[in-house]
Formats: sequence, C-alpha cells, structure tokens
Amino acid sequence: MTLAEDNGPERGGDDLLAAEYVLGVLANDERQIASRRVDTESTFARLVDVWEVYLSPLATAYAAVEPPASVKVAIDRRLFASTPARSAEPRTGLWSSLGFWRGIATAALAALAIYIAVPYVSLPVEQERLVASLAADGSDVKYLVVYDAATHDVGLSHVSGERAAGKDFELWMIEGKNAPVSMGVIPAGAATHLTVSPAVQQKLAQGAVLAVSVEPTGGSPTGQPTGPVVAAGDLKGV
Amino acid sequence: MTPQDITKLIVRTSMKDRAAFDLLYRQTSAKLFGVCLRVLNDRGEAEEALQEVFVKIWTKADRFAVSDLSPISWLVAIARNHAIDRIRARRKPAADIDAALDVADPAPGPEAMVVAGGEAERVHHCLDELEKDRAAAVRGAYLNGESYAELAERHGVPLNTMRTWLRRSLLKLRECLER
Repeated sequence: MTLAEDNGPERGGDDLLAAEYVLGVLANDERQIASRRVDTESTFARLVDVWEVYLSPLATAYAAVEPPASVKVAIDRRLFASTPARSAEPRTGLWSSLGFWRGIATAALAALAIYIAVPYVSLPVEQERLVASLAADGSDVKYLVVYDAATHDVGLSHVSGERAAGKDFELWMIEGKNAPVSMGVIPAGAATHLTVSPAVQQKLAQGAVLAVSVEPTGGSPTGQPTGPVVAAGDLKGV
Repeated sequence: MTPQDITKLIVRTSMKDRAAFDLLYRQTSAKLFGVCLRVLNDRGEAEEALQEVFVKIWTKADRFAVSDLSPISWLVAIARNHAIDRIRARRKPAADIDAALDVADPAPGPEAMVVAGGEAERVHHCLDELEKDRAAAVRGAYLNGESYAELAERHGVPLNTMRTWLRRSLLKLRECLER
C-alpha cells in the first residue's frame, strides 16, 4: 500500500466506514462485515484504530460501576474450568474462590493487590520472558517480540508496515560487536512464531538487540543482512 | 496503577499469566462494566457481556501490540465494541432507549483529569466546533451505541438523511483533529 493509495479516493470511503464502525452507528449486517474486515485487512484495521484513538477521550464519561463478584467466578469457570490452578501458584485458587471474594475487606484486598503486584515491580535477575518493541526512524515497520525462555519460543506481533512483493522480513540477533545472527525469516501474518536454536537461546535470555531487515524472498542469501534494517529494539524483561 | 502497569498486566495476560489477568480484572472491571451497562442498559445482559469481554481479553491480549490506543482505552474499546455487537444483534432496539439517553453524563472524574492533556482535549474542542445538536448526536452515538436507525427515529428524519448528516459531522471532526 503506497502513500498515494492511502490518501486516494478510496480512503474517504473506508475512512468514513471506520469512523462509523467505531462510533457504533452501523446496522447489524454492516457492522459484522466491517468487523470481519478489521480481523482480515490490516489497512482497514489501522483506520479503525486511528478513529478509536481520536474518539477514546469521550469514554471518560462512562462511570465506573463495580460488577458483582459472581462475574469473575463465571469468567474463571469459562476459561479455566478444565485446567486446575497450577500448584506453583497457590494464591490463584484463593484469588478466584467465591468465599474469598465475598469475605475479604477492601483494605485486605488492597494489601493483596500490592503483594501480587510486587513481583512485577521488583524483577528477578533471571528473566523468563522478554519483550522487545521493534521500530526505526523513517520506517513504518513495527513488530512486538515476546521471547519465552522456558519454551524457547519467539512470538511476533506484526504491528504495521507491509513487505514489498518479492521481499521478506528477516529477524536478526545482535550481541555486542559481533556479526548479526539470523533467527529466521518472519512468517507473514499478524501473530507468528519462530523457534530459536540453542546457541541463540542463551544470548537472548541475557537480553540482546533484535533487528528486522528487508531480504529477498526466503531470506538473506549470504547469511548476513543484505537489505536495509527497517526495525530494531532491545529485548527487556517485562 | 499507571498506564505502564496496565500495559505490563496486558502483556503478561497475553502470556497466559493468570495472576496478572486477575489483577487486570481487579483494576479495570468496574470501568468496563460501566461501559457495558451504559450501552446495554440492562444489568443482567451487562454482566454477561462483561464475562465475554474478559474472555476476549484473555484470548486476544496479544493484539494489544498492534494498537496505538492507551491500555485502558484499548480495554474500553473491546468492551464497547462487544456491547454494541450485542445490542445490534437484538431483534428490536431497547424500549427504554430514551430513558437511557436522559442519564446525564457524569462530570469528568480523576481519570479524565489525567488524560485531559492536549491530545485528549482535542476531540472535545473539535466537537465544540460542530453545531450543538450534531455534536450531541456524535457523543450520544458513541456513549450509548445508538444505530443510524435509532438516531433517525429519535430525530424524526429518514435514515439516509441521518447518515448524511452524521457523516458530514465525522468529516468535519476529522478535518479538525488532523489540523
């Protein structure tokens, strides 16, 4: 999608449709079609997101209303009924128990919230999960990368920026002054995964710089980046 | 909780961290329930909708990365869109839609003060540039999730007139927001 197309006559129609979708005025059938386009067309999804951002300050007029405790119990039943709480996290069972919810005093709840929040504030030395936001000046290519050290899985959320025809995006790990190490061609799609070789795993767990370069379809023929780097960022603990 | 804290909770939820999900629920469920209640105007339905909203948040938390929205706005958008999907799927519009419209908007709370910086102020400023009744229609549609059909009925104009009317307002709004 070129800039000219973005601002061409098409934009008006889709941009207004995005605004109508966000505002919520479309009839049921029109709304369902628009909703499907949000899931399948990243360009349309971006237009919708822009309008969500524009109009989101209006939502401050929604008053907060405490829902009954039964709602959370029902959510947990729907999501976790078949998987008992992991033994490593005994507080999860307590947290979702109905009696606990009914009986607990607000002050105690606030204390518990702090207790649970503490692990996120004071980070352990060994990071199990690391996150990197990849972007660069002069490029609209953006990815969010989540590395799970336990499963050696790299999850990639494609935020924006399309690859040109005949080109692929390749992910690289850069450690200090060493030559970039390829982590593979990023599969096309909104949410994709890469598996990491044992050699790369340890370096990733210590935190490294990740970069995305433009390469011919199938990846760099030389084993080193041959095209421009369009996004980069540090892996950091969450 | 700062927006950064909510972001961390969403990211950890995307990694299927239940403790983070529980805390995210604690911190945000009242706001999201308020959204469902306002749009659906029915407590039982709003409770059901809130369940579905948090099921969605659990399963789609990784999509947060593709949005420019602030974390709480992203969560509100999920709740609003889901509640609107629900009322659109109803056979008939709620009988007491007019009663719902009579509910006065509460004064902006502390949350509004926090986001009342330049960017957030712009949409209010730009709405003020529209004619008063048109700005009210945009706000009403946003907050109550009214359809074109419902707006047309309330204003006593044909549906296409209402569509033209509101689209023109949206174009003006965009022009002002991009200025």
